[in-house]
Amino acid sequence: MDTQHKRKILLAEDDSDDAFFFFDFLHNRSDVDLLPSVTDGVEVIEYLNATSSAGDLPDVIVLDQNMPRLTGKETLDHIKSSEKYGNIAVAIYSTYVGPQLIEECLQLGAVIVETKPVTKEGYNKMMDAILEKAVEGRKGENGG
Amino acid sequence: MEEVTDTIYAIRAGQVDALVVQGKDGHELYTLKTADHTYRVFIETMNEGAVLLSSDGLIVYCNSMFASMVGLPLSAVIGMAFTEFVASQSANAYQNLFRQGWTEDNKIELMTKGATGLIPCQLSVNALELDEGVSLSMILTDLTVQKENQRLLEQNIEQLAQTNAALEISNHDLLQFASVASHDLQEPLRKIMIFAGMLKDRHAEDLPGTSLQQLEKIINSSNRMKRTIIDILTYSRLSTTNDSFVLTDLNELVADVLSDFDLIIDEKQVLIQVDALPTIEVNQGQMRQVFQNLINNAIKFSRAGVRPKLTISSTTRSVLGLGQEMQAPVCSISIADNGIGFNEKYAEKVFSLFHRLNTKNAYEGSGIGLAITKRIIDRHNGTIKAQSEEGVGSTFTIKLSSKQKR
Repeated sequence: MDTQHKRKILLAEDDSDDAFFFFDFLHNRSDVDLLPSVTDGVEVIEYLNATSSAGDLPDVIVLDQNMPRLTGKETLDHIKSSEKYGNIAVAIYSTYVGPQLIEECLQLGAVIVETKPVTKEGYNKMMDAILEKAVEGRKGENGG
Repeated sequence: MEEVTDTIYAIRAGQVDALVVQGKDGHELYTLKTADHTYRVFIETMNEGAVLLSSDGLIVYCNSMFASMVGLPLSAVIGMAFTEFVASQSANAYQNLFRQGWTEDNKIELMTKGATGLIPCQLSVNALELDEGVSLSMILTDLTVQKENQRLLEQNIEQLAQTNAALEISNHDLLQFASVASHDLQEPLRKIMIFAGMLKDRHAEDLPGTSLQQLEKIINSSNRMKRTIIDILTYSRLSTTNDSFVLTDLNELVADVLSDFDLIIDEKQVLIQVDALPTIEVNQGQMRQVFQNLINNAIKFSRAGVRPKLTISSTTRSVLGLGQEMQAPVCSISIADNGIGFNEKYAEKVFSLFHRLNTKNAYEGSGIGLAITKRIIDRHNGTIKAQSEEGVGSTFTIKLSSKQKR
């Protein structure tokens, strides 16, 4: 993957304020390309299915855990068990993240599972961590 | 001759109080008031049924209590086989007892055919060497009342268990509620904090000084609320998660916790003395929190103008169980400070939820820390006590077994 290339980030978030924070704090980053967000897991699947060319697929999907219809974890499970989208890095975030959720989501293949940040710095740190883990994941796949 | 035998039986059976004998000078009255009589009265009036069996299991003697238990006249009982009074479900147990009773004392519970139905009895036997040969003495204790009490007790225990289960469910619901409520409170609170932060970062220069101060107050209050919510969540989670106890060197754990306080320890010039601590079985995450809370309090509630001093010490005592067996040693760990202290009448109250002894303005905190601490110690089957004197300092003493039950 071209490291100079901006990573395409898809956010699934049903809370419009949280979607606003995400864009407001991250849109200035040079290393990301924020795709228009969707509001739940079903829309994520629909979005992926509607994307015809593999090159247009997002590099990273950030899922809110508490969403209607499909929760973050369920969506993660769905993505990771798909042959077509299984390579996409998935991050889960939520207002409150318990140890059980962390363990289950990491097991399912999430790159990070984090509490929603409260500051701009927090958001940027979270995105740094996601991108770093996403690259590690790719390297791991190439190596294996 | 038969008359003589009958008379002797009658005397033995206790039916005879006196004998009239035709003597030289007319009728003579002989009472049976001898030492023997005392024993007879004693046996006759006792609450237990007393029976003497011959080697072939026939009743050669019984007291009136036994006769009334089985609802027959004394004279009818004598000579009967004891097995006739044993209910079918106890027949085997009785046969074993009868066989072994000749060589060793023994007791069993059995059902006896009584006057009005089956009677649960305790039957104890021992062999007696008497003039007329070896007999088996049997004492029957009516267990009807005892059994009834036992049944009531079991019923009460059952009821208690049901109440307990209901209580546990309601307790669980309550904690679930606390957990959900705190979770849902975090969401809007987080937004208040972010929006307030945005206002401050982007418009600090546009706002008049007082407005900026008020904005700071919003942010500070939000931070305090966030801490409270997290504490409530921690407290409620303590009851819902399973405990896993791991053998832990408390020296390491305390050193680790102290390193989190490096900054404030430097700033306040806190004198710290930690004695050798034991290695015991604890839930590490929870025990870390205990020391965090107690050390935090010791430093937080320091006296103005006095260099804070924190002493952590421990003693270990071996314990003998009821049966004199050695039990796991009990460790007593003290965390002492020379801070502001508190009136000892609050020594119990400090551990209750949301209990604060000082104003929020003077000392920050949610009022949950010691409640969490106590709950953790409770879950380790230990105790925690506070001793304190105003203006002198406080000592918190934890007692924990070095081993946890599995």
